[in-house]
Amino acid sequence: MSINISQLIQSMLGAATGAAKGHGEDLKNYLEARAKLIAEGAAAIASDRLEGKINDDDVTFAFDQIKESEKSAAAAVSVTLKAAAQDAINAALNVAASAINTAVGVAIL
Amino acid sequence: MNRSPIFSRGTVFAAAVLCWAILQVGCSAVLVASYDETTDRLLTDLSQKTETAVVRADAGQLSAQDQETFFSESLGTVRTLKARSALFAKNEDEIAALAQLEQRFEALQKHGAPPRTSLTTGLRGTLLDLQQIQIAKKRSSVFSAGLKKSSSKP
Repeated sequence: MSINISQLIQSMLGAATGAAKGHGEDLKNYLEARAKLIAEGAAAIASDRLEGKINDDDVTFAFDQIKESEKSAAAAVSVTLKAAAQDAINAALNVAASAINTAVGVAIL
Repeated sequence: MNRSPIFSRGTVFAAAVLCWAILQVGCSAVLVASYDETTDRLLTDLSQKTETAVVRADAGQLSAQDQETFFSESLGTVRTLKARSALFAKNEDEIAALAQLEQRFEALQKHGAPPRTSLTTGLRGTLLDLQQIQIAKKRSSVFSAGLKKSSSKP
């Protein structure tokens, strides 16, 4: 039995897209949570300064730390994208393996 | 002497493509380190301890002694996590994020002020980043397990 290439490509794309979708939703939730954290942090900085609970040095320190933390945010996005790519590639390869097994009539892969 | 080929060029090409496909299918793509439950648990505990310290600092209930204990214990946990993460291949992003977390704790300790909400946004952001890394790894690990299960079916 021969492999229908166009059908296989569609199946591989479908599997890859489905595999990456969950990571996409996680990434959206994470970015929303991070934006909320920074917004609340900025509000707390302003409020604490106005109430005299922190001084100008504290404000500068707090904002510098927020800026520095963007490096670990980049690492989090990088891991999420790599994990999504990994799952998408493996899902597509799994479909290709099944197609080869079906075509040759034996579960080689 | 001119020898006639046993296989046509087309047959050789098709065989090469098939071999390449088999090799590709035989080894799964690995782009990130596998999920580690211990790392995830230690990070969750550290986040919980940090949030507790922040709540107490906001309420003016974190003594200087408690503050120092919080920083030394937190730095101990971060350094344990860094050592553990270095044992896994393809874990560079997590190692870099943990180095950032160590810097956040050290900077805050050196600054000397209580870890109030207003001063810990950077620290809590980096903790959130590391939690997202665990979520991505866990999703991938669950997905890979599902693929192995489905491909092992007769």
